[in-house]
Amino acid sequence: MTQPDEQTTVRVDVDVNGRHHELAVPTSTVLSDLLRDELGLQGVRTSCERAVCGACTVLVDGTPTASCSTFAFDVDGAAVRTVEGLATEGALSPEQQAFAECGGFQCGFCTSGMLVLTKALLDEDPDPSRETIRAWISSNTCRCTGYEMILESVERAAQLRAEQGMGARR
Amino acid sequence: MTADPRRLAPREGHMPERDRPRADARAKVTGQATYTTDVRRAGMLHAKVLRSPHAHARIVSVDASRARALPGVHAVLTRDEAAGLAPVGTFVKDWPVIAGDRVRYLGDTVAAVAAVDERTALAALDLVEVEYEPLPAVTDVGAALAEGAVEVFPEPPLGIVPHYGQGASGALRPLPNVPYEFRFTMGDESAWDECDHVFTDEFRFSRMNHMHLEPFVTVAEATDEAIEVWSAAQSPFPLRRDLATVFGLPENRVRVNVPYLGGGFGAKHGIRAESVAVRLSQLAGGRPVRYCMTTEEVFLTSSQHAAVLRYRTGVKADGTFVARSAEVLLDGGAYSDLSPLVAEKAGYRAAGAYRWRYLDSVARAVTTNTVPASAFRGFGGTQATWAGERQVDLIAERLGMRPYELRLRNMKDLGELYAPGETPIDSDLKEGLRIVAEAIGYADRDRSGNRGMGVAVGIKDGGGVNKPAQARVKVTTRGDVLLQCALTEMGQGGHSAMAALVAEVLGCPRERVRYAPIDTDHSPFDQGTNASSGIAVMGSAVTQAALRARDAVLQFAADQLGGVDPAGLTLEDWTVVDAAGERHPLVPWIMHTFGGTGFEFTGEGFFKATNSDLAPLEAPCIFWEVGWAAAEVEVDPDTGKVTLLQLVVSGDAGRVISELGARGQDEGAAVFGLGQALFEEMRFEDGCLLNGEALLYRVPLAEDIPERFTSITQEQGHAAGPFGAKGLAEGTMLPVAPAIAQAIADAVGAQLTELPMTPARVWAALRAREASEAAGAPAAG
Repeated sequence: MTQPDEQTTVRVDVDVNGRHHELAVPTSTVLSDLLRDELGLQGVRTSCERAVCGACTVLVDGTPTASCSTFAFDVDGAAVRTVEGLATEGALSPEQQAFAECGGFQCGFCTSGMLVLTKALLDEDPDPSRETIRAWISSNTCRCTGYEMILESVERAAQLRAEQGMGARR
Repeated sequence: MTADPRRLAPREGHMPERDRPRADARAKVTGQATYTTDVRRAGMLHAKVLRSPHAHARIVSVDASRARALPGVHAVLTRDEAAGLAPVGTFVKDWPVIAGDRVRYLGDTVAAVAAVDERTALAALDLVEVEYEPLPAVTDVGAALAEGAVEVFPEPPLGIVPHYGQGASGALRPLPNVPYEFRFTMGDESAWDECDHVFTDEFRFSRMNHMHLEPFVTVAEATDEAIEVWSAAQSPFPLRRDLATVFGLPENRVRVNVPYLGGGFGAKHGIRAESVAVRLSQLAGGRPVRYCMTTEEVFLTSSQHAAVLRYRTGVKADGTFVARSAEVLLDGGAYSDLSPLVAEKAGYRAAGAYRWRYLDSVARAVTTNTVPASAFRGFGGTQATWAGERQVDLIAERLGMRPYELRLRNMKDLGELYAPGETPIDSDLKEGLRIVAEAIGYADRDRSGNRGMGVAVGIKDGGGVNKPAQARVKVTTRGDVLLQCALTEMGQGGHSAMAALVAEVLGCPRERVRYAPIDTDHSPFDQGTNASSGIAVMGSAVTQAALRARDAVLQFAADQLGGVDPAGLTLEDWTVVDAAGERHPLVPWIMHTFGGTGFEFTGEGFFKATNSDLAPLEAPCIFWEVGWAAAEVEVDPDTGKVTLLQLVVSGDAGRVISELGARGQDEGAAVFGLGQALFEEMRFEDGCLLNGEALLYRVPLAEDIPERFTSITQEQGHAAGPFGAKGLAEGTMLPVAPAIAQAIADAVGAQLTELPMTPARVWAALRAREASEAAGAPAAG
């Protein structure tokens, strides 16, 4: 592919969903483009592209992060988790199972971000109050559901994790 | 003969799929669902668009020669490359692919580039030189209608007026800057003589952005002979027609593919990113071109209609409604797009949920030098409900009556006609109001501490006007089902619901039914995914297709059984059960009859309401979509800040096909209403959009939802859709702002007539209230 100007690349070593990658990445590349275009993780959605709506949320070393507004070189040495990294061997994670069961999605465009946000919340606080859930979920936008079914999904995810003996972040 | 899908009852009195997760759950929670944003084609180029910095200007010259010379640029589109391309619009065709002699709003399309990547395309746009000669701009409805205002379109309009029925009429360009006017009249005008009071009030309705998270996005592969697009389009066949019209091609050389949509809410009906991508692909020798708008560009492409509504209403001393005359001005923005249809609905819906002896309305779409307005959840009904429900409250106050009782006194009964020639009201409106009032505790409400409650109802004719839908069900040798229809999945759960209908008819689990990808070359015809029509219109076609496929199977089985009556056979998970209860697997019969590869049984379905000149809008509506709401607020009288303490909404599903789907539609629509009520608004200054991006444009977040937010899905059972179902999705948006406004009045006496009800407006209304009380005047509007 021809480029109109030369681009400086840097080496980025990153663990994505448990898989190690050694990449040469242009310094201007943002994390969402790296994940979607280079690594084929199209479950990462981008919308506002200015770190407001939260659709592009991924976990960087466990912290919810707007991948649209994070340079790819910033994740050098980090572990990134996307929605594709939630299910294990085809079995849905408790968060995924809960959102499916409780109808915590409609169009699905915010869902990837909501799911990893939920995982981060429950890693931090395995039994969050409604108030805590509301505060966390308020960092992302869903235009479809009106949120109530998302809040219920998070509560259900906490319950499923408890049943499966998953506690706080280890 | 195949049964009428609209008269079916579910087999065990209960749809077995109704309690289950949606069919698209797994794809969406794993991130595997494919949207147009994910479509990639070999050799794909990327487009960016240069937009007008002026609200209104003549384009003196466009010089793109330096952009064309930039390495990596493969095509540049200016007005020179758009010669001969037809403009689009519903009824009035005035929106060109790219600006010609003038730009008509800040954000209008002036040039476009396709390059190897978006960075290069943006760099090329910087090299396009445009000389403008600014013109006076009309940036709101008042300015556009003022004497001597500049005409945004001086030339005569290109358009048509549809064939209306009883009481309805339309006109093209009755006034300067009014591309379309709709009028509706019913009843006896002498009814005005019986009125004891006549009240005239003006209401203002703000403009929202749809803020669908997936932007307008298209990938196009086009030559001068054929076009193929993958697009985030709610309505594939109207898009095919529009592209064929714009580019002068036969419809069978235009192919539209539609993956999952990341939200629509009306915005994705009509050409958005498509025509620019198509033309650039043609100019780039047929290479695929992707045009994905930024959120900022989305804000500059489509919006809701701001409105000014003047309602003159005559009543008797006892509160009986008698006559109404409504004048509605809709800000249509720079291009007509769907504004004529929205005007039609805003005018037609002026009666609201109430009984009138006389009603007339006129609704005008007004052209302004602002972002074009288009379809938006509620579609004129939200505007009409805001004015209508608010005026009921103002009248109640003036007559010293309670808003709840005044509503009940005048509300239409179940089965009563909305207008002569129309479908009778198919919900018990009073029962619904009682349900939300009871759920919120309206009768025993505590009004201390500046708290108050309000209740409201909104109704709209549902299912679209004169809307045909077709569907096909194919069942393979092994009983695997392929459903083909063009209902798009934009979040509403339509695909899941359609699959559930087919599963119910064929007696198989929903997992056996696959919803085929939407592709206008293969999907049966449909007029579009809009007007809450999915369940009642496409659902009827799908159910009929499934019934016909089932009947073909049962006829085949009857032949195998030596010519028994197929009416005595039932189909259960690809096994035929005969009248004696004996079970016959179908696969051996099919293999024996048709050979090794087997066979496919196919059923075709079709639905459309019959046209009638008696019906005001071409045909009687398919159903009545109703939303009820009750709200409790607390108002801070010092700041005007409104805290929503409780919100209860309810819709009538007729019969529920999917619990989660129905609830999700009611709650999602209600929260659109909440945003409209309290803070959402596109703010313009001299035609410049001040908050057209995600940070400054405030949409509801989880923290904005009241602690107690309840939706109640009613199943009143009066609807005529498949299995007694009817549409949801827009109804509960209608009454939310009026219910909140009434609650504010209940709490502190301030009567709001303008949206959104910001602290500043509430505070101003409180001060006005105090001033009028001090002057001893009667309650103000």
